[in-house]
Amino acid sequence: MTEAILKIEGLKTYFFTEAGIVKAVDDVSFEVRKGESLGLVGESGSGKTVTALSVLKIVPKPGRIVEGKIEFKGQNLVGKSEKEMQPIRGSEIAIIFQDPSSSLNPLYKVETQLKDVLLAHQSMSKEEAHKRIVELLTLVGIPDPEIRMKEFPHQFSGGMKQRVAIARALALQPTLLFADEPTTALDVTIQAQVLDLLEDLKQKLGMSLVMITHDMGIIAKMTTRVVVLYAGNVCEIAKTEDLYEQPRHPYTALLLAAVPRLDRKKTLSIIPGNIPNLIEPPSGCRFHPRCKYSDAKCEVGPPTLEEVEPDHFVACYRWKNISLNGENTIQ
Amino acid sequence: MNTENNKSNSVVKRRSASQWAVAWRRFRRNKAGVFGLIVVLAVVFIGIFGDFIAPYPAFPNPQALAPFYNGNVRTPPNSHYLLGTDVLGTDVLSDILHGTKYALYVGVVVTLITMAIAIAVGAISGYFGGAVDNVLMRVTEVFLVFPSLLFILIFVRVLTLGAGVGTAINFLGITIPTGLTIVILVLAIFNWPGDARMIRGEFLRVRELEFVEAEKALGASNKRIIFRHILPNILSSIIVVASLTIAYAILLEAGVSFLGFGDVNTMTWGQILENNFANMRVVWWAELFPGLAILITVFAFNLLGDGLSDALNPRLRD
Repeated sequence: MTEAILKIEGLKTYFFTEAGIVKAVDDVSFEVRKGESLGLVGESGSGKTVTALSVLKIVPKPGRIVEGKIEFKGQNLVGKSEKEMQPIRGSEIAIIFQDPSSSLNPLYKVETQLKDVLLAHQSMSKEEAHKRIVELLTLVGIPDPEIRMKEFPHQFSGGMKQRVAIARALALQPTLLFADEPTTALDVTIQAQVLDLLEDLKQKLGMSLVMITHDMGIIAKMTTRVVVLYAGNVCEIAKTEDLYEQPRHPYTALLLAAVPRLDRKKTLSIIPGNIPNLIEPPSGCRFHPRCKYSDAKCEVGPPTLEEVEPDHFVACYRWKNISLNGENTIQ
Repeated sequence: MNTENNKSNSVVKRRSASQWAVAWRRFRRNKAGVFGLIVVLAVVFIGIFGDFIAPYPAFPNPQALAPFYNGNVRTPPNSHYLLGTDVLGTDVLSDILHGTKYALYVGVVVTLITMAIAIAVGAISGYFGGAVDNVLMRVTEVFLVFPSLLFILIFVRVLTLGAGVGTAINFLGITIPTGLTIVILVLAIFNWPGDARMIRGEFLRVRELEFVEAEKALGASNKRIIFRHILPNILSSIIVVASLTIAYAILLEAGVSFLGFGDVNTMTWGQILENNFANMRVVWWAELFPGLAILITVFAFNLLGDGLSDALNPRLRD
């Protein structure tokens, strides 16, 4: 097994709002291994993005990391100050955001934006920077980089803008890249291109990729391992194939069943109920009010992650008693 | 717009229109704004060269009182004294031309100080939020609830009394009247709160945009985000507010001088009004024309501000 580059242990990130404490990420633990593609999947509000922002320590106010350990290359990021984090952001850990139309400053030419990133963290001459920018734009598949680098973000289409955002995130060759729903704001045809590009770049640059998405299709296509989040808790961690073949958590099974498939005549299943209120989450297993397998035990205390088979963990009291059949089942 | 460039071998050259080029194109179409700009440029020209085009020199020069010695006190406008002469026997046209530089000095410096304070307070307040924001905004409100005109009058009176009569500061060879400078400082101190609130609001808006988060994720410091990313994005609003602040400052100084609280040793437009007010029924021209000068200048800066506002923030237009 390859070594872990990022190890998150018992991470709790809460938002201290006037309505109460929103436990957006509550005791999340998982690891990202060197060179792997890890999927971080869950409904909206399950804590996917907040987990990523926590790793970079850019959780917006009034949120903050309350507890936990984020070990990146052997150092705990949680205890680091703003000053100590700045050189890590961008050059060690980078993130691509959902909406490329708003993640680039509209005032600056693409060249300037990339140059800023390059020169902020390392010293290089203007010519070197220029060469590197052309290289980066070529890498992400932007035609005529010499010309297009002189243009403003509004002159790029959505897909092209996302390529620029990717180029910027990769400018300093980070070892860990978070992609936060990088294709949600894009056309379906462009989605595939961007995903292929990410996959390709990951191979070329040998970095670890964390794909944050709610799209099980992207998970299947892009990742080798998956972490399923529900309401700020980890439900299941498994290799992607194992997860699709044999989900162990009822929530995972429902997620899989909610993917539309042509070869299945049944109506698309939906997961009953809503994601719980994170100010006063349900007691015990947070999924129990929506789970048809739940019993008395589920309401008492939160389940811990158990290893059901090598490299397959599930946080469910009843996994031994229920049989879930992955993609093909769920009535 | 951006996918057509590969069609032929020859690469289509497209001009990358910067925000400013686009704004200028939009501004040019606004007749009122262009008119304002032309008048403002004319005022600036007079401000710089007024001393040379004026028929008579300014007051400390004995020649300023030449009309008086020629017996032309309170002369109505005629072919020699185009705008007449006032109660002291000085040429009104010359007074107005000399006064232009003071009007601009007041407008520009009050605005510079106002904006400097407003940007500092607004940026810190809006960007960092929390307790800092709370404290700064309460201070701002304290300033806002002051009956500011009253306080300006009191402060100006108290401070200019101690300033000595007719003293001036020599700055790079330019003579700057001390009394007027004190008036300017007082005006600026009571003028920043509104602008600070506006800038704070803009910071709050831009701070939440995703690119700020993206820059942070790339390792940008707070300083860099404030100065390189947020401030340039709200520059258009700042420019608009600044041009309106210039107009307001000129008007305010004229008001303070007219009420007799200004720097009596500096012939600002307001001071001309104040000097001739008691004899207004006789020397109406010495009231009307300086008044028109104030009106036209303030109006021009307002038109310019509105034009800039339409050009730089097209979404604000109804």
